[in-house]
Amino acid sequence: MISFKGINPLAAYKALLIGAFGSTYTFSETIVAATPLILIATGLVLVFNMKFWNIGAYGQYIMGAIFSSYFALNVSPSVSPWILLPVMCVASIIGGAIWALIPAFMKLVWEVNEVISTLLLNYIALYILKYLMYGPWRNPTSHGFPLSKMFAANAQLPRIWPHTRVHLGIVFAIIIVFLMYFIIKKTRFGYETRVIGENSTAARYAGISIFRNTMLAMAISGGIAGLAGMAQVSGVIHLLQLEINPNYGYTAIIVAWLASLNPIAVLLVSILLGGIEAGGSQIQMMMHVPYGIVGVIESSILFALLGGEIFKTFRVKFRRRG
Amino acid sequence: MDDIVVSLKNITKRFPGIVANDRVNFELRRGEVHTLLGENGAGKSTLMNILDGIYQPDEGEIYINGKLVEIKNPSDAMRLGIGMIHQHFMLVETLTVLENVILGLAEQGLYINKKEISKRIEEVSDRYNLCINPSTKIWQLSVGEQQRVEIIKTLFRGAQILILDEPTAVLTPQEVEVSFEIYKQMIEEGKSIIFISHKLNEVMDISDRITVLRKGKYIGTVDTDKITEKELATMMVGREVLFRLERKPHERKDKVLQVSNLKALDDKGLLALNGLNLEVFSGEIYGLAGVAGNGQKILSEAIAGLRKVIDGKITIAGKDLTNASASEIFAHGVSYIPPDRLKMGLVPNLSSVDNAILRRYYKPPIYNRHLINYSEAERYAKKLIEEYDIMVPREDAPVKLLSGGNMQKLLLAREISEQPKLLIAVHPTRGLDVGATEFVRRELLKQRDNGVAVLLISEDLDEIFMISDRIGVIYEGQILDTFDIKEAKIEKVGLLMAGMKSEREFSEQVCSTV
Ligand SMILES: Nc1ncnc2c1ncn2[C@@H]1O[C@H](COP(=O)(O)OP(=O)(O)O)[C@@H](O)[C@H]1O
Ligand SMILES: [Mg+2]
Repeated sequence: MISFKGINPLAAYKALLIGAFGSTYTFSETIVAATPLILIATGLVLVFNMKFWNIGAYGQYIMGAIFSSYFALNVSPSVSPWILLPVMCVASIIGGAIWALIPAFMKLVWEVNEVISTLLLNYIALYILKYLMYGPWRNPTSHGFPLSKMFAANAQLPRIWPHTRVHLGIVFAIIIVFLMYFIIKKTRFGYETRVIGENSTAARYAGISIFRNTMLAMAISGGIAGLAGMAQVSGVIHLLQLEINPNYGYTAIIVAWLASLNPIAVLLVSILLGGIEAGGSQIQMMMHVPYGIVGVIESSILFALLGGEIFKTFRVKFRRRG
Repeated sequence: MDDIVVSLKNITKRFPGIVANDRVNFELRRGEVHTLLGENGAGKSTLMNILDGIYQPDEGEIYINGKLVEIKNPSDAMRLGIGMIHQHFMLVETLTVLENVILGLAEQGLYINKKEISKRIEEVSDRYNLCINPSTKIWQLSVGEQQRVEIIKTLFRGAQILILDEPTAVLTPQEVEVSFEIYKQMIEEGKSIIFISHKLNEVMDISDRITVLRKGKYIGTVDTDKITEKELATMMVGREVLFRLERKPHERKDKVLQVSNLKALDDKGLLALNGLNLEVFSGEIYGLAGVAGNGQKILSEAIAGLRKVIDGKITIAGKDLTNASASEIFAHGVSYIPPDRLKMGLVPNLSSVDNAILRRYYKPPIYNRHLINYSEAERYAKKLIEEYDIMVPREDAPVKLLSGGNMQKLLLAREISEQPKLLIAVHPTRGLDVGATEFVRRELLKQRDNGVAVLLISEDLDEIFMISDRIGVIYEGQILDTFDIKEAKIEKVGLLMAGMKSEREFSEQVCSTV
């Protein structure tokens, strides 16, 4: 694909690799991009295992960012970060969870298709963010740009790697990955979600509550996506703006599938795709190909993946005929 | 010398991982009914699909009227005068009989004149006593009638050799008799019939000769009048089969299940149970006979708490549990073997361990402070596997890899181990081989001897008569009558299954849809 533009594709890939893993700094940027991917994808693993097709991490992420920013922008700078940061975390989790519980409830009670409702809620979240950024929350000194005021120091997640943008969020992400692995494999809740995902009729038969488990799983999934939004505004950009990269919500879907819905694998795949994100800007600078190429690479990966799945399913069906 | 119309020589057909037909020989004479007998999975349908051109053999030769032929597809088969009626019908439900017949002809590219064909359908229907009206829509017909439409379709395409794949599996005893009359009529007109079944009494009744397959292998061909049912069973299964299961006299004690005036809707919102009354006592097997679709599935779901009822009452061991939740009903001692093990009873993609604990993952010692103790779970699964002699590749392999018999054993083992007061078993032996069938029936009897109330719902009348203490007949959502096993007559039960109180009513009913 890259060769179409008359540029040596190998050189471009090399630039991408260097961009992702070439130096300490570029590697740190890979981690920064991987952090929200790890978080969101880990939450998606839980609900995808239940065959609940939550496409709404995008909106849940935005809501998390908005809810936490409310406190960052309104609480006095003199309050201890030990209080403010946990409050922001909780707020973001609640914001993401609410945005996830709406489609869950609509599906469970009115049988509204969750793909459609979550997509719709993504747009609504984006419009709420737009409204805030062009309206009440805009920084009066931003010369019309859709940005909020800078967060005060007490609302910023600490950076944990000097001279880079790697922040505490990556630690949360790693903890949550292992926690999720444990939840799915060892707890009663995890067992029930597995039964529901694999055979909801059998779940009903065994008296497993589909309502309670789906609501809980979506609250967790959306909550984590919300937390990712908070980590991004509070850890990376230190303000709320229109461009907070909500597309992580879609990329994370690819991550979850590439990781075969295994939380531990999510960790590795996120670093890979985080590398492509971070490296993308590198190729752009070095080779003068557009940043959009990152999207192209990602979607080719997803396409290859889906293609593989389709062929697998198709062959099975074909043999069963007659 | 007899006229040999079909001769299959050394047919071998392999599917991935299995040899469905292994050097099978088969021969059909003009004007005979030749039965292909074998257990589920013996390779009967495969062999006939080869003759019908749906599958190609890997090895072997096909001769039709003495000529070596290659049958590439069903149209080829039709040209050679071969027509097959499949286990699953291939009719378009929303079209009329006439339109379906025309569709069948159109596939062959024949000239079509609607009026003429309609007249000819009536002629054929009269000649064979099929009682089919060309302008009826398929969905309005009973299963037996649909089968007759398939026969008409096949006759219209000029079939001289008819293959009937387990036609009687879906019929009541009386409908079976009607079908047999039709077959005899066709034979008289010089047609030849290949009849597939694994029901010995029918086979003895209708066939001139019998060819037995077992696990894909050709076992032999015999003349029906030179063999006994018992010998046939031994050929089919490969060992002696007990026709009667030993049964202690039954001691019926407390009333465990009482269902009164129950009304419930099916998935389409139609009234499926219409004021049904039923009692089952501890220490008895109550066999519920009926043609599929008369409410038995709905009844089992209502009792198990999986379907809301709109009226009536369900009492279990004296406690009113009408419209209680599935887990509440289970907690009151009701175990349930659902009709479709892969759809409801088991989770095919999960392991034997995960499936074994489905009823007790929330009880100690397997459950412990929000966590599941998987070493306990594994121990429990291993115990079931050993006690019930279940063949699993490994405990952590998904249960979909088990054979049907072993899946059913696992399900049964799990449900019985909960020591229920009431055990509901719906089609518990459907699709199982003879060995597993025998195992399941013995296990149900054992439960009964231990004082469990067993509600057995089955399409297999032989099974119901073999192990039940009382037999009830369900028809259109009501129980028409209940008999003690000592007084129950299979003919009477068969009539009731068709909703009729007497023979006379039956013979009138056959043509009543016209
Ligand atoms: N299309 C197929 N692909 C793979 N295996 C098949 C297929 N059709 C039948 N089989 C297998 O071949 C064996 C014989 O099946 P079948 O001819 O349907 O048996 P029967 O009709 O005697 O019950 C079974 O083990 C079945 O699982
Ligand atoms: Mg078959």
